[in-house]
Amino acid sequence: MKWLEKYKISPPVLEKESDYPDWAISLVPTLLNRTGTWRIFRPIYENKVPPCNNECPTNEKIQGYFDYVKQGKLLDAYKLILEDNPFPSITGRVCYHPCEGVCNRKDYDESLAIHCVERYIGDWGIKHVPFAKPREKRKETVAIIGSGPAGMAAAYYLTLDGFNVTIFERKTKLGGMLRYGIPAYRLPKKILDSEFKKLTALGVKFKVNCAIGKDITLDSLRKSYDYIIIGHGAHKNRPLGIPNENAAGVFSGLEFLFQINSGKKPKIRKKVAIIGGGNTAIDAARSSLRLGSIPTILYRRTRTEMPAVPDEVDAAEKEGIKIEFLVAPVKVKATKKGKVTGIELIKMKLGKPDASGRRRPVPVEKSNFVLKFNNIISAIGEQVDLSMLSKDIEKSEWGVKADNIGRTNIPNVFAVGDCVTGPKTVVEAFGAGKRAALKILGETDKIKFKAEMRNAGEASMNQRPVKFTDLNLDYFEHANKIPGPEIQVAARKKNCKEVHTGYNKAMFKQETERCFSCGVCNKCDNCFVLCPDLSVLKDAGDYEFDYDYCKGCGVCARECPRYAITMLEESKVEVE
Amino acid sequence: MRFTVPEKELMFPGHVACPGCGGALAMRLALKALGEKTMVVIPACCWTIIDGPFPMHSLHVPVYHTAFETAAIAASGIKAGLDIQGKKDITVMAWAGDGGTLDIGIQALSGAAERNDDIIYTCYDNEAYMNTGIQRSSATPKGAWTTTTPEKTPKLEPKKNIAEIMIAHRIPYVATATLSYPEDLINKFKKAKSIKGTKFIHVLAPCPTGWKMAPDLMIKVCRLAVETKIFPIYECENGINYTINIMPKNIIPVSEYLKVQGRFSHLREKDLLEIQKTAEQEWELLLAKSRWQLAINK
Amino acid sequence: MNKVITGNHAVSYGAQLARSQVIAAYPITPQTQVVELLSEFCASGKLNAKFIKVESEHSAMAACLAASAAGARAFTATSAHGLALMHEMLHWAAGARLPVVLANINRAMGPGWSVWTDQNDSLSQRDLGWIQLYCESNQEVLDTTIQAFKIAEKVLLPVMIILDAFVLSHTSEPVDIPEQELVDKFLPPYDLKTKLDLANPKSYGALTNPDHYYEMRYKIAKAQSESLKVIKEVDLDFYEHFGRKYGIVETYRCDDAKVILVTSGTITGTARTIINEMRERGRKVGLLKQKLFRPTPFEELRSILYKAQKIAVIDRNISFGHSGIFAQEIKSALYGLAGAPPIFDYIIGIGGRDVTPDDIREIIDNTFKTEAPQEPIIWRGVRL
Repeated sequence: MKWLEKYKISPPVLEKESDYPDWAISLVPTLLNRTGTWRIFRPIYENKVPPCNNECPTNEKIQGYFDYVKQGKLLDAYKLILEDNPFPSITGRVCYHPCEGVCNRKDYDESLAIHCVERYIGDWGIKHVPFAKPREKRKETVAIIGSGPAGMAAAYYLTLDGFNVTIFERKTKLGGMLRYGIPAYRLPKKILDSEFKKLTALGVKFKVNCAIGKDITLDSLRKSYDYIIIGHGAHKNRPLGIPNENAAGVFSGLEFLFQINSGKKPKIRKKVAIIGGGNTAIDAARSSLRLGSIPTILYRRTRTEMPAVPDEVDAAEKEGIKIEFLVAPVKVKATKKGKVTGIELIKMKLGKPDASGRRRPVPVEKSNFVLKFNNIISAIGEQVDLSMLSKDIEKSEWGVKADNIGRTNIPNVFAVGDCVTGPKTVVEAFGAGKRAALKILGETDKIKFKAEMRNAGEASMNQRPVKFTDLNLDYFEHANKIPGPEIQVAARKKNCKEVHTGYNKAMFKQETERCFSCGVCNKCDNCFVLCPDLSVLKDAGDYEFDYDYCKGCGVCARECPRYAITMLEESKVEVE
Repeated sequence: MRFTVPEKELMFPGHVACPGCGGALAMRLALKALGEKTMVVIPACCWTIIDGPFPMHSLHVPVYHTAFETAAIAASGIKAGLDIQGKKDITVMAWAGDGGTLDIGIQALSGAAERNDDIIYTCYDNEAYMNTGIQRSSATPKGAWTTTTPEKTPKLEPKKNIAEIMIAHRIPYVATATLSYPEDLINKFKKAKSIKGTKFIHVLAPCPTGWKMAPDLMIKVCRLAVETKIFPIYECENGINYTINIMPKNIIPVSEYLKVQGRFSHLREKDLLEIQKTAEQEWELLLAKSRWQLAINK
Repeated sequence: MNKVITGNHAVSYGAQLARSQVIAAYPITPQTQVVELLSEFCASGKLNAKFIKVESEHSAMAACLAASAAGARAFTATSAHGLALMHEMLHWAAGARLPVVLANINRAMGPGWSVWTDQNDSLSQRDLGWIQLYCESNQEVLDTTIQAFKIAEKVLLPVMIILDAFVLSHTSEPVDIPEQELVDKFLPPYDLKTKLDLANPKSYGALTNPDHYYEMRYKIAKAQSESLKVIKEVDLDFYEHFGRKYGIVETYRCDDAKVILVTSGTITGTARTIINEMRERGRKVGLLKQKLFRPTPFEELRSILYKAQKIAVIDRNISFGHSGIFAQEIKSALYGLAGAPPIFDYIIGIGGRDVTPDDIREIIDNTFKTEAPQEPIIWRGVRL
């Protein structure tokens, strides 16, 4: 309540002798004197964009759920995540966490282990929170091709708002790369199954063992469904393009992983070479290690250029997997019967950057050499199978042509995930699937993008993500990241036990306390405590400036640890 | 980290302190600690004006304005007057500036301390006679510009250490405090309230106007004063037991504190070195005192 | 109870009987016995008061004012340099309308250091708004001290009781010390309506701009002039309780006097005997004792002095660059009255030089002899 609402003050009347006290004894509080007229700047409460929220491909409200956790509101935290990402138990395990790469805490001590926190909340949610049911009942029907992450996210949001969704999956089990690409020691199948229960609870229908183009055509689906979402990912192995690449004992990375993730044991012997530097290559290497082999990764550039998630590369090295950098395959060595004996390699050096921005590798002349291997796994990238696509749907260099909301050239046909972009990440697929769903639902105002994408040129002050230099670090003690616990390397041999065991409650609490809450007020009371003019009013936890008295000194804005107060020029404020 | 302070306000806005005034915030926080049963004595200083001209008042406790040099004795007088009426649970606080404490008011303060009169004496120190237009006082730090120590002849004398002077009086409680540590400040006033006898609290209260800096830096500059060891936050009981309340964590040179303020902008490298040395010396002395254990007390 | 006590102790008894609650005092010759006896009273419990042993007179007055504002009856005593040091706070006392009582032992100002009596110290403070009462005897001192509290608390102005150094302060005389119960009947407990009050928090004495200051000063001036009535009432009231009265001026054998001698303080006592002696010899001379100096008792001075042919004012003081202060005041009181008698201003006894019966005789003789005063100041006894 503003001061002048709480106190009714009128100027004292001093006309008669009896009006005057005997000497200078006061009559009325200084509330009579509205010092707000002194102002040149005025403070306003204005939340800014936290960099983590901004960077997340699903624009999760990371700062928001951290704040809920700090308040002890675990359920609210979980629900807040689900608003943007339905599957935190998955992303908490396999996401490449770009949020952590921009976390402002990294410039102070260490970035937050956001994914560890998210995983804890996701796992807690699966255990304690009943699965959501559709909020309403609608008539529209949607066919989603592929039960991978893009399709999963789209299905979730569509059915939540009452649409009728059927997912067509060519394999026997659901999940796409989540099941058949990512090994169980990174994403246990049980967790994946639990996440799928969310979709079952929402009434999503699944048709497994149903390949589009083979068992059913896209055109027929287009006739029977109001909307189509193509999300069949990138599952064609890119050939090496070298002699003997089809010799016995050579596997494609995808095929190798598919077998392992289906519960089979691919026939491999001791020495295994994995060609490639992406996540598939790393997954294949670490999987073969667990089968008892000695894997070696062969990559044509250096570690800096490896497209795999750095955590994964670290894990591989920790497990003792050797990586040979700056080598490229020339020829597969095989016996006359066509069985692999090894591989001829050529040394590489880095030249100018290529289209991806990474320095292009250039062969070093006459540097060929041979390494002996029993098996070779080729994992140099995946491609999109466009054979099932209708003729009228436009294609791009990578796959199906679609914008970042998933719109193709056909109004009711959407395409999302790896099938549009080529092989990228789980979280980007979740984001794409969600955006397409929102577009179909007509909730375009909920579609979010990174701040930098929204305006050409510089994002306005309240839209650009909060920088480290915006913060007031005086209010934070240094504290290092709580590392996510892992099982010992020795305990990882010959099993697919999940390597990361996850935070316990104490670690979870401690790590969330480190969050700066960049740009968003979390009611720390600094402005209230430090205002010399009592012009910050606290009412049931909310703050308000009393502009009758605020002199615009700016102490509040300066001492706000998280840049949630903006000083505006008074002359530019429109007065009611 | 979250500040917890008592909610109740015993001060009104509309007071006429400059924007970003340390003295205004100090009073607000002190009264939160002391509560309603408090009477405040204000001698000539900025607060004489801040309180608002007749017929207004800015505080929700009785305020007795008094002559410049009489803050301590007026507080003693009020306390005696209340005591003899049997009103023994009212806290009487003298609230004086650095001029009214270290210069013209030191006689009355020393007298009250020697008698151990039951008052809280707060010196809110903005390091010059700010109310009359930024003239130097004995609390002005060495090297500072003021209107009576212009840049060509800045103040050469070191700041008078009033906390140590009061400690030498062996009064029950002496403490330093500043605004970047509001909980510490509030705790100290609460502690002072609970002790009988003379209590002295020295609050560093920056004056953006007189220190020639932007008002929004007021809290930051308090923090820098403490972290550069220029204004240590400590307390001393009975003139013997020292406790340092805030240990600066990082080694920050005094230049970080000095460069924020225009009143030090003329300082040269050798001045900075000297100030650095003095700060470190005083800190070392304080540290030694805080660690010393009297054999007689073991 | 009859007791032979000094003037200083008469002050002490007065302050004790008036139930002073806060005493703040600093020792200075010749006041010391006042506070020494009060200390004993406090120690023995005869007086329930807080005695603040301040570190200077300036602090003494500051403490008394603060205590008074807080709701306690406050008292102090001082002299000469102590009073001068208090000057800032004496202004404050009247400006703050606080009813403190101060006993001043009239002592000469240094340099050179002098502990002996003259009136310059108290008269230097005549413009500040204090009520000033000059006493002739120890009994009067005690009685006036008690009256002073009642006057002060009624008009809300501070009151100064004045007695001569050594001649009165250290001289013993028989004094009737009244019973406490009787004094309690006369003087109710201290009750300042505007005292500092937690239930009604206000600021006292804040910055006051020209829009309001003038009115407050006007109120002080008005209080001063209205206090005349109160002082007379309190004197009569005292008489009813204790059987003694003094008036704001006392006339002694003035009815048909050709020459009226005006005195104050202990010189009055000496003058009385000379008046009697001269009357014996047929000289028509009278005596006006001016007890109340501030506020100026214009009416009384005019009505009494107008009738005489000549006025001889004895000033144990000098306002450098002008003349004796009592004489100045009396001249201004009579100014404009057609046919007002000439006024002779006799300066005598500065720095405690003894004023003897011969001095008084010579002054009266000289007045009778001289038509009109030849100079504004007539210095008596300067040995140059």
